[in-house]
Amino acid sequence: MTYVWDQLRAAIPLITHHNAYVMHLLWVSVRVALISTSAALVIGLPIGLTIGLGRFRGRRALQILANASLALPPVVVGVGLLLLLLPQGALGSLRIEFTLRAVYVAQAILALPYIVALTPAAIQALPPGLLAQARALGAGRVQLSVLALREAKVGVIAAVIAALGATISEIGAVVIVGGSFQGSDETLASALMDQFNYTGHDPLATAIALLLLALILVLAGVLTVIQQRTGGIQLRFRTA
Amino acid sequence: MHLIWEELRLALPLIWHGDPYLFSVIWFTLQVAAVATLIATAIGLPIGLALGLGRFPGRALLRGLANASLALPPVLVGAVLYLLMTVEAPLGPLRLIWTRQAVFIGQTILALPFIVALSAAAIQGLPEGLLSQARLLGAGRLQLCTLALREARIGVIAAVIAALGTSLSEVAAVTILGGNIYGYDQTLASATLFEVNGAHYPDAVAIAIVLTVMILVLMCGLGVLQQQGGGIRMRFRSAT
Repeated sequence: MTYVWDQLRAAIPLITHHNAYVMHLLWVSVRVALISTSAALVIGLPIGLTIGLGRFRGRRALQILANASLALPPVVVGVGLLLLLLPQGALGSLRIEFTLRAVYVAQAILALPYIVALTPAAIQALPPGLLAQARALGAGRVQLSVLALREAKVGVIAAVIAALGATISEIGAVVIVGGSFQGSDETLASALMDQFNYTGHDPLATAIALLLLALILVLAGVLTVIQQRTGGIQLRFRTA
Repeated sequence: MHLIWEELRLALPLIWHGDPYLFSVIWFTLQVAAVATLIATAIGLPIGLALGLGRFPGRALLRGLANASLALPPVLVGAVLYLLMTVEAPLGPLRLIWTRQAVFIGQTILALPFIVALSAAAIQGLPEGLLSQARLLGAGRLQLCTLALREARIGVIAAVIAALGTSLSEVAAVTILGGNIYGYDQTLASATLFEVNGAHYPDAVAIAIVLTVMILVLMCGLGVLQQQGGGIRMRFRSAT
């Protein structure tokens, strides 16, 4: 095990001394997670509310579709998006291929299913009488939405944390649409993989891995605290 | 949309005419998914049963740990395994790095949390009285396990499907441990990445289509199960 210890011993100073490259990666990862998840929230929450509260035909089909979209492989999303963003593609005039902006877009698309699928699940888990009662008392659409969000907030927060977790640790789409340019649009996760492509590996890889682990642990910790407080919401997240 | 149609037009013949490279990748992907899920089930199901049925101290902690392990970024798992398998490392003499065996091991470890955490959750989700009644009537440990598995079978199958889903679409650990070696240890997901990096877009699109079809088939399987079992809440997220 001395080999593993040596790696750790060499890696920790990189973090404690704020190695510029490693800190930049951390900053990019945090930015990608926050921006993409916010975008997904803005787009996904209304859709999730509609599926969760609506009483229209085809609602079940939409819910199944939303659940299925959780399983979309990130590399597939990456390839599809890249073909749109390349200069000859439909969105090619935006000229954002192989930039951090493309990474934001890709990660927002990957975060969207979490919000859209898990929000209705949280709303459907509410006591059956609650929303019906509000409706009977004459709540309007907006009031109903506010009520549902307030009551299902733990589930929605869990969905947001799941989305954050996915955007932090996913690489398939990041590497494809971002091109993984060192120091510009690499995230912690994609930089970690690149370390193995080029150099076998060195303490830098271990330092990046430690930071990534810390970031995920913080998220998992927050989720656990929320679950403990409210007693057993069953939403989990899987990083991709 | 011009570019997408163009790539699709070039990609579809690769699938129709049975491109030998494509089919070798499909074959290896199926092998990985089957072997990893099988071994993970063999190891994980007893653990899941123990967590779901056992009444020992520290059970809640272990369950929390199992849930948290679902959130581990695959790239991190890949990096840690690499650190253990590389030439100078403890498992170095086994010469596993950049072989198919390394891919099998990595995917098995990534599939394990799904089996353990989701089967434990499925057993916990059984009606309160069921298992305590069986205990009162004098069921032995083995009988109790059989009963729990039979009653929670839909949840357990959903766990297996989730495990299959990750091993199909994960790229990070596969790439790090297997080295993404052309025609040797590539899965559909890692081959997509490989072809995009080489700017072979028709091949990338062909592979991505096959991968999407496989995931869709799995999701349909899950959907049918959910319909039959009335609302199992398990979803899976494909991993990078």
